Amino acid sequence: MIAEYELVTPLSDDDVKKLKVRDIVYINGIIYTARDLAHIRIKDYLEEGKELPVDFRGAVIFHAGPAVRKRNGEWEITGIGPTTSYRMEPFSDIIFSKLGVKALIGKGRMGEKTLENLKRYGGVFLIAPPGCSAIIVESVEEVLSSFWLDLGVPEAIWVLKVRRFGPLIVAIDSHGNSIFNEVEENVMKALNEIRFAMKG
Amino acid sequence: MNDKTLHEVASTMIKKSVTRVAPDVLYLLKRAYENERSPVARKILEAMISNSYAAQKKSVPLCQSPGYPVIYVKIGAVKIETNIQKVFQKAIVEATREGLLRPSMVHPITRRNPGDNSGIGIPEVEVELVPGEADYSEVVISFKGCGAELPSALKVFTPAEVGREGVGLKRFILETVARADGIPCPPMGIGVGIGGQMHTAAKLSRKAISTRLWTDVNPDVGLARLEEELLRSINSLGIGPAGLGGDTTALTVKVEIAYTHTAICPVAVNFHCWAVRRITTRFLPDGSILFVEDEYAGKTT
Repeated sequence: MIAEYELVTPLSDDDVKKLKVRDIVYINGIIYTARDLAHIRIKDYLEEGKELPVDFRGAVIFHAGPAVRKRNGEWEITGIGPTTSYRMEPFSDIIFSKLGVKALIGKGRMGEKTLENLKRYGGVFLIAPPGCSAIIVESVEEVLSSFWLDLGVPEAIWVLKVRRFGPLIVAIDSHGNSIFNEVEENVMKALNEIRFAMKG
Repeated sequence: MNDKTLHEVASTMIKKSVTRVAPDVLYLLKRAYENERSPVARKILEAMISNSYAAQKKSVPLCQSPGYPVIYVKIGAVKIETNIQKVFQKAIVEATREGLLRPSMVHPITRRNPGDNSGIGIPEVEVELVPGEADYSEVVISFKGCGAELPSALKVFTPAEVGREGVGLKRFILETVARADGIPCPPMGIGVGIGGQMHTAAKLSRKAISTRLWTDVNPDVGLARLEEELLRSINSLGIGPAGLGGDTTALTVKVEIAYTHTAICPVAVNFHCWAVRRITTRFLPDGSILFVEDEYAGKTT
C-alpha cells in the first residue's frame, strides 16, 4: 500500500523519516534548483569559508535548470525538468552533512554514497516524472529569486515558490532502502531467465 | 511548393510537434496505464499523460529538452523544389528565439553553444526519392531526446554470431536494453536496424523508431513477429516507467532491415524516450496538406 504525502518546506527530520520507498510526495513551499556548476561552486565556497547565498537547512534541491523569460520585469519559467542526478553524486557528503538539505529531486539512480548519507543525516531522494515539463511548470507559482546567474541561466540557483509540486516518488528513503537496487536485481534475474530460455 | 509556404508549414510542424506527445504514443501510454500493475508505475504514466494534455492546452514544451531534430523527406509526385534544410533551420532558430525550443546544439569538440540551435548539420535531413511510388510527398520532423541516446549501441556481427533464428541478435538487443536501465526515460521506443553496413544499420534504427506510428504493424510478417517477441521480452525485464520498476518498459519495438554482405551482420539499437515529438505532413496532389498523426488521433478518440 503506497502512501501520498503533502509536505511543506523547510522539511524536518520527522517529515523525511516517515517516508518509505515508493511513497508519493508533493512539495509545497520553496524549492532550489542546482545543477553541476552550482554544486561545484558550493563546494568551493565551503572550502574557502565563503558565505552561501542560501540557508539550505531543511531545503529541497531540484536537479534541474530552467528555461526562462522576463515578463513585466518578472522572471517566468517556460520549461523545466530533472536532469541526470548521478552527476551530482560526488557532492552528496557536503549537501547533507554541511548544508542540512533534507530532500533531492532528480532523475535516474543515485549511488551508495547518497544512500549512506540519507541514512546518516536523514533525507530522501525523490524522482520527478521525466520529461514532464508542462505539469512541473504549472506547480511553480512564482520565481522568488536567483543567485549566481553568471554561471548561465540553467546552471544558476533558482528559488521557486511551488504548490503541489509532484507527483514525486521516494526512490531512496532514510532507512537504507533504494528502489534502484531492487529494480536492478529484478532486471538481472529476468535477463538471466531470458538468456537461459534462448539457449534451449 | 515555395520557400514561404514550406516555411509556414515548418513553423507549424515545429510548434505542434514539441507541445504534445504524438497521438499514437498517447494511445499506447493510456493502454499501458490501464494494464500496469505497479502503483508507482501507474503514477508516472498518469503524470506523463496529464503532462501531454497540459502542454497541448497551453502550447508549451512537453519536455524541457527539445532533443535533436531529423527531417525525413519522401518525394513522390508532389514537387518540393526548395532547400528543405535551410527552410527548417530558419524555422528552428525562430522557434528557439521564441522560447519554444531550449538551445541545446553545441560544437561537438569545444562544446560552444551558439544559443539558437543553429550549427553544422542541424537539422539533419534525409531524402528519399520515390517518383513513381507515391502520388504525394511527405515530410516528417522528429525531435528525439538525447539523454536516451547514451546507451544506444551498434555491433557488427559475424554470420556465426547471428545464431539460429537470430538468437545472437536478440540477445544483444535484450542486453543493450537491460544495460540502458532507466536512462532512456522509459517507457521507451526501441528502433533496431539490421543489415547494410555499419552506417546503414544506424540510420535504419533511427528511422524505424522516428517515422513509423508506434501503433503500426510491420508489413513484413517475419519482422512483425520479431518486433512482438522483442517487445514482450523487453517488458519482462521490469525496468518500468522512469526506471522505477513495472510492466511498462517499452511501448514498441520497430525493426527495419537492409540486405547485407555475406560476411557480416551489422545491428544497431536506438533508444527513443517516451516524449515522442513527431509530426508527419503529407503534401497531396490537390495542393492540400494532411497531418497524419491528427488523422490517427481523429480515428482513435
